[in-house]
Amino acid sequence: MFYALVFLLLGMLVVMIVLSTNPAPFYGVFNLVLVALLCCGASVLHGGTFLSLVLLMIYMGGMLVVFIYSSALSADKDPKAPTGWQVVLFFFGYFFFVFGILYTNMVLDEEVWWGVSGEMDWDAVFRGDMDGVSLMYSSGGGVLLLGAWVLLLTLLVVLELVRGLGRGALRAV
Amino acid sequence: MNPYITASLLFGLLLGTTITTTSTHWLIAWMGLEINTLAIIPLMAQQHHPRAIEATTKYFLTQAAAAATLLLAATTNAWMTGQWELQQATHPVPTTMITIALALKIGLAPLHTWLPEVMQGLDLTTGLILATWQKIAPFSLLLQIQPNNQTLLILLAILSMLVGGWGGLNQTQVRKILAYSSIAHLGWMVIILQFSPTLAVMTLALYIIMTSSTFLAFMMNKTTTIGTLTISWAKTPIISSLMPLILLSLGGLPPLTGFMPKWLILQELTKQDLGMTATLAALSALLSLYFYLRLSYAMTLTISPNNLTGTLPWRTQTNKKTLPTAILLSSSILLLPLTPEVLTLFNT
Amino acid sequence: MLKILIPTTMLILATWLTPPKWLWPSSLLNSLLIALTSLLWLKNASETGWTFLNPYLATDPLSTPLLILSCWLLPLMILASQNHTSHEPINRQRMYITLLASLQFFLILAFSATEMIMFYVMFEATLIPTLILITRWGNQAERLNAGTYFLFYTLAGSLPLLIALLLLQNSNGSLSLLMLPHLGQLELTSYADKIWWAGCILAFLVKMPLYGVHLWLPKAHVEAPIAGSMVLAAVLLKLGGYGMMRILVTLDPLTKELSYPFIVLALWGVIMTGSICMRQTDLKSLIAYSSVSHMGLVVGGILIQTPWGFTGALILMIAHGLTSSALFCLANTSYERTHSRTMLLARGMQMILPLMAAWWFIASLANLALPPLPNLMGELMIITSLFNWSPWTIGLTGLGTLITAGYSLYMFLMTQRGPAPSHLLALEPSHTREHLLIALHLLPLILIITKPELIWGWTA
Repeated sequence: MFYALVFLLLGMLVVMIVLSTNPAPFYGVFNLVLVALLCCGASVLHGGTFLSLVLLMIYMGGMLVVFIYSSALSADKDPKAPTGWQVVLFFFGYFFFVFGILYTNMVLDEEVWWGVSGEMDWDAVFRGDMDGVSLMYSSGGGVLLLGAWVLLLTLLVVLELVRGLGRGALRAV
Repeated sequence: MNPYITASLLFGLLLGTTITTTSTHWLIAWMGLEINTLAIIPLMAQQHHPRAIEATTKYFLTQAAAAATLLLAATTNAWMTGQWELQQATHPVPTTMITIALALKIGLAPLHTWLPEVMQGLDLTTGLILATWQKIAPFSLLLQIQPNNQTLLILLAILSMLVGGWGGLNQTQVRKILAYSSIAHLGWMVIILQFSPTLAVMTLALYIIMTSSTFLAFMMNKTTTIGTLTISWAKTPIISSLMPLILLSLGGLPPLTGFMPKWLILQELTKQDLGMTATLAALSALLSLYFYLRLSYAMTLTISPNNLTGTLPWRTQTNKKTLPTAILLSSSILLLPLTPEVLTLFNT
Repeated sequence: MLKILIPTTMLILATWLTPPKWLWPSSLLNSLLIALTSLLWLKNASETGWTFLNPYLATDPLSTPLLILSCWLLPLMILASQNHTSHEPINRQRMYITLLASLQFFLILAFSATEMIMFYVMFEATLIPTLILITRWGNQAERLNAGTYFLFYTLAGSLPLLIALLLLQNSNGSLSLLMLPHLGQLELTSYADKIWWAGCILAFLVKMPLYGVHLWLPKAHVEAPIAGSMVLAAVLLKLGGYGMMRILVTLDPLTKELSYPFIVLALWGVIMTGSICMRQTDLKSLIAYSSVSHMGLVVGGILIQTPWGFTGALILMIAHGLTSSALFCLANTSYERTHSRTMLLARGMQMILPLMAAWWFIASLANLALPPLPNLMGELMIITSLFNWSPWTIGLTGLGTLITAGYSLYMFLMTQRGPAPSHLLALEPSHTREHLLIALHLLPLILIITKPELIWGWTA
């Protein structure tokens, strides 16, 4: 469990660093999806199965479409690998920066325990997020309604922004 | 834009601010901020010209970054203290992060650079919303967290006043000047935030009144540069003759409304033994005053030559609504004698 | 108080409601009536010196002469401006009179305020009408520069004053002028207190103006229209002296040590600005610099804080107010005819306008403090008390008086005497309005000789 968590989190960091140094948009999209997957994995390990499932659904269902859309917008026909020594330099710069901080803060500090909450407890089968979901349905009706309205608003906003492509919305920049 | 969509966007603006100001839960407050940001974006981009799109993109990026930082800070706070209450963010690390995120959101120096650029790309109406209504929600959060870090806030405030003053000095674009003026005014609000929240709210309200009247007056003239301000005397003579008073009121000259917040803030600062800070703040108002004075020189105090047909427009009937402009104009000039009443209004 | 204030506000209304034909006569009459009514303030029977008390406003022997001076100036400004505004559209003329009336309104409130903050607010409030007067109704393009100088010099001095006043209120509990002299001395020992002292006094020194921070004044005077120059020289500068006399009461233990550099600067300024006058070619600029020179004496008289010094300062302020305003009016009459402020281009006016030359003569004599005019009385009292304070000052003040006489003579000779140049021979004759204007300046000045205790201030 512990090693899995460390693997996921370190993987997330590496992917983030690759994401921030890579100029090619397709790689960017790919890395973002990877980050999302790894985050969901980490939150499963923390005991949020339902939450991570929802998150995965949202990412796959919604965000992926947006990513593909945006990468199509960027119209990068042939994706480039991160060549260019500047990218490599950035990569190592970020890498050493992030892991240096990580090392000094986490590893040297003996008291930090990279454990998973509730891992050793007897009631680890009762997941905290289930509680939250039931609470949301029982007393969070207002918030649900609000969320629905915000989704509608977002839809309107996106439609309004991409409407009139011929007149130069978005692409004109 | 379809009027129904405009209506729902405006409703979104209202809703976002209302949610943020009334919530006690960090997540909901964050949500309100995001609704605000989302709702104004199509309004900003409705002109469909590259400059507006650029401004919209810049606005979206900064606001998203600020909101993300805010969310991170709120979750950190929840992780550290175990609760999501808005008013119990007591740990210094998340509080500082929240303060900085909100500073980015309202455009306090040194996180202000997006504001003039964004403002320049918008039309005056959206600019007015951005300069006034969009400040309310983040400001209410700033008021509620009661940061215990005095130095950070005072530093942000003084820096904003100075940057707001200096930045506007060499601008010829009215919207950019107003953006810098907004930065300077926010500095005044933030400096008093921890000593007297009442005063901060009052300053915000008076700033909104004065800025709205300035924007409305410019909207009447359809002017966005100092150059086109010069012929406003031929279009709207009464507004352009009142304009120096409004601008000097923004600059905080007695006996105009703008002096009231400055006076009370300085008084509060001297009570807190911050005499030097108060002096610095007061003198930084001179920087802003310089560009207000420049605007009023261009608009009223010199009369640019014009040909005969150019001087005719004031005779034509205007069908614009003038009542809100009239009310805002007179209250942004004449409120100083009513200082006690205004204070009681905000004290309750 | 309201007896004067309400008619002054009504004057603004009357300006907008009278038919164009009666605009100038009716506003002149109205303001003259206000000025006459304001003479009532001279009756002061109270033992404490404060009369016409109400919760916010009152007069005492110090403020009464200045109040009456500012009321007296309004009809004179209206008289003086009639000619050069006559080409403007009627609405702008109304606007102009409105500005002058609002300026008088703020001046009355400033001089009669019984609270330092109220005084401060009104002190600042006079800036706005004056600024508009200079920058909107001035003639040259440099007027914008002059307006900026005027506003920013004054504000840079007076914003620290606001902070200093608020600090004083925090430590003292009151800023009432009635209370301040009786609150006893503050414990002022630290460096911060010294800075506070400077903050209290600097705004007034800039307004006076003290030599060194006087650069805004000649610019403002030169660029302002006639009414602006008149009110600036006659009343606005006196706000500085008045405020200083009011605030010095509370600054007591520090002033004795800290005022040295300022007294030195003021007396040095008398000589320096006098010398500048001697080589001045611009008539209005000369009168402006002569104001700086006279105000230097006033600053000296106030800062040594003796009863004679205060009395002399007040007398000199009133006398100088009338004299310099008269000189500006005279300069304006020649400017309106020759359209030039350069003295070399307007020589020999005695041949062309002989009666005007008589007025020039009297005004120049008043400027150089001829006995028995109150100018002499003021200067003499200040010089005497400065001599008592330190005998060495007689060198500076004596030389200053000599130079004053020198440049007054220079001004008179340059403009009035000598052969009239040929380009000036066909000038418009002087109007009755102009003679009335100068007479209304100089008559009070002469009449005050007979009852100087009216402007003696606290010593009366």
